[in-house]
Amino acid sequence: MLGVLLEARLEQAQILKKVVEAIKDLVQDCNFDCNDAGIQLQAMDNSHVALVSMKLGSEGFSPYRCDRNIALGINLNSLMKVLRAAANEDLLTLKAEDQPDSLNLLFESSSQDRLSEYDIKLMDIDQEHLGIPDTEYAATITLPSAEFQRICRDLSALSESVSIEANKDGVKFACSGDIGNGSVTLRPHTNVEDEDKSTKIELTEPVNLTFSLKYLVNFCKASSLSATVRLCLSNEVPLLVEYQMGAGYLRFYLAPKIGDEE
Amino acid sequence: MGIKQLYQVISEAAPDAIKNGEIKNHFGRKVAIDASMSIYSFLIAVRSEGQVLTSETGETTSHLMGMFYRTLRMVDNGIKPLYVFDGKPPTLKSGELAKRTARKFEAQEAHEEAKEVGTAEEIEKFSRRTVRATREHNEECKRLLKLMGIPYLDAPCEAEAQCAILAKSGKVYAAASEDMDTLCFETPILLRHLTFSEQRKQPIQEIHLDRVMAGLDMTREQFIDLCILLGCDYCDTIPKVGPTTALKLIRQYKSIEGVIENLDKDKYKVPDYFPYQDARELLMNPEVVPADECDFKWDAPDTEGLVDFLVGGKGFNEDRVRSGAARLSKNQTTAQQSRLEGFFKVIPKTEEELANLKRKNEEKVAEKKKRAKLDAKAKKDSKKAPRGAN
Repeated sequence: MLGVLLEARLEQAQILKKVVEAIKDLVQDCNFDCNDAGIQLQAMDNSHVALVSMKLGSEGFSPYRCDRNIALGINLNSLMKVLRAAANEDLLTLKAEDQPDSLNLLFESSSQDRLSEYDIKLMDIDQEHLGIPDTEYAATITLPSAEFQRICRDLSALSESVSIEANKDGVKFACSGDIGNGSVTLRPHTNVEDEDKSTKIELTEPVNLTFSLKYLVNFCKASSLSATVRLCLSNEVPLLVEYQMGAGYLRFYLAPKIGDEE
Repeated sequence: MGIKQLYQVISEAAPDAIKNGEIKNHFGRKVAIDASMSIYSFLIAVRSEGQVLTSETGETTSHLMGMFYRTLRMVDNGIKPLYVFDGKPPTLKSGELAKRTARKFEAQEAHEEAKEVGTAEEIEKFSRRTVRATREHNEECKRLLKLMGIPYLDAPCEAEAQCAILAKSGKVYAAASEDMDTLCFETPILLRHLTFSEQRKQPIQEIHLDRVMAGLDMTREQFIDLCILLGCDYCDTIPKVGPTTALKLIRQYKSIEGVIENLDKDKYKVPDYFPYQDARELLMNPEVVPADECDFKWDAPDTEGLVDFLVGGKGFNEDRVRSGAARLSKNQTTAQQSRLEGFFKVIPKTEEELANLKRKNEEKVAEKKKRAKLDAKAKKDSKKAPRGAN
């Protein structure tokens, strides 16, 4: 191909599949910003409550080349349609020309006997970027992602919002709704056999914030990306929910619910 | 009302300034609403079988119905409304107001006549034209708002100017009015269709002033002169100068003075009485209360008071009033979802991105024009072709 600007090959198509699957209900259209460091994405949901920030570093691809900074505007539902055609273990190659009007996706089955090729139309997206300040969070909680998903799902049956209260003894997720109330408390513990099943709490000061469960349940769709999830909280700032991927991360920020300021 | 054709001019020159979205996208935002305009629109739109709604004793209740339910709709969607009422009209508006009164009078007569001889449709048409928001309507709405715990302000003069100043100062997120002249008063964001009913399924329109200015490539002075040429409430226009010509003239000569100087006197005739300087002054420096002197807060509703007023006095359905009051107090007490913009700031676009955006906009505009031309041509051709000749 002449004038190739971007060429990036992922060992496993499932990484991108899972990322897009996890965010497509939050964000419809967004720009994939590609540069020599890798592929990044930042987008807010329509109502500007949650923000997705994704990074797939160049080291996660082999090979990776991107000759010039470029923003690829993609409809995530369309992208998902194409990605569903890839098997999890397929090799996935992304390609774009200079001044592209489409993104080329190539799926190679690991046994090399099938080659699928798709082009997806790009779109012009006028997107606002938010500057996210570096924050020293008052509480950082690391727990198994399946555990977090379960807590959010269970509590969402009772209420629209959950309060997350962390102190040195543990972290308590509590909610109350029309039918009653409920809470789940996790104490820090270490699983010696499987590090990923441990719960860790690092705390500089106690925090207590309230968040919308609908969004948290939505974030948890990323649970398959990583065995653990990191929650970072400080009073009166957005919550950060982070899933680590091999050479990058998928982060969700969620604005808290606040009592009336007047 | 407002500025004639300004919307059309903006949508052509600065398409990216206009965004349409759902009402729920605006939750958590405080919005200043032009109350007088809303009450007028309720009187026109909130009707049953073409007649205004009335209580058993025959008093009009359309305005209260509209005010109550449409405000509830906003509150349900997490919006915090602040209503601003008109004060005295500026003297320059007297010409426009006199015209309106004359029109009302004509409509009144036509209405009477229609009642005698006309069809039902005609009666309805003229009855709508006779609508006026009276002092009583305003007072009743204020009383209702007070009971609902929704704040309101009295503007010294034009309500939309006061809304704009509140938005400009950051005390509220946006000014909500159907009146496009709110943009002349420098509201950074204008919301339209906010007080429409749910059933109309109208998206909420958001117009961003900075993008309007960037798209038109004008200063505020030039923009206001453009609005005067398009036609505002304060001053007549130059006959035969429509949106296209007005835009072209201001772009070329930069001000009304320049336009008048260079105007083709044979083709266009400037009206004898053309107080554009006064109109400009009114649009540039409207009479408003400085934003930091405006105080308002949202309170819990007075449920019993509402029931007394609406059910006892106006014949509303008690269950619906009570459930409305419950919704108001729920929204007042539960924790509000905050927005990310309150914590993370938008990174301003780089020069390069801005240039890119501008280029793309121009491309879009050019594309649209080209298509319109082609369409017109196709239409012409199809007309030329004799009928049934294929």
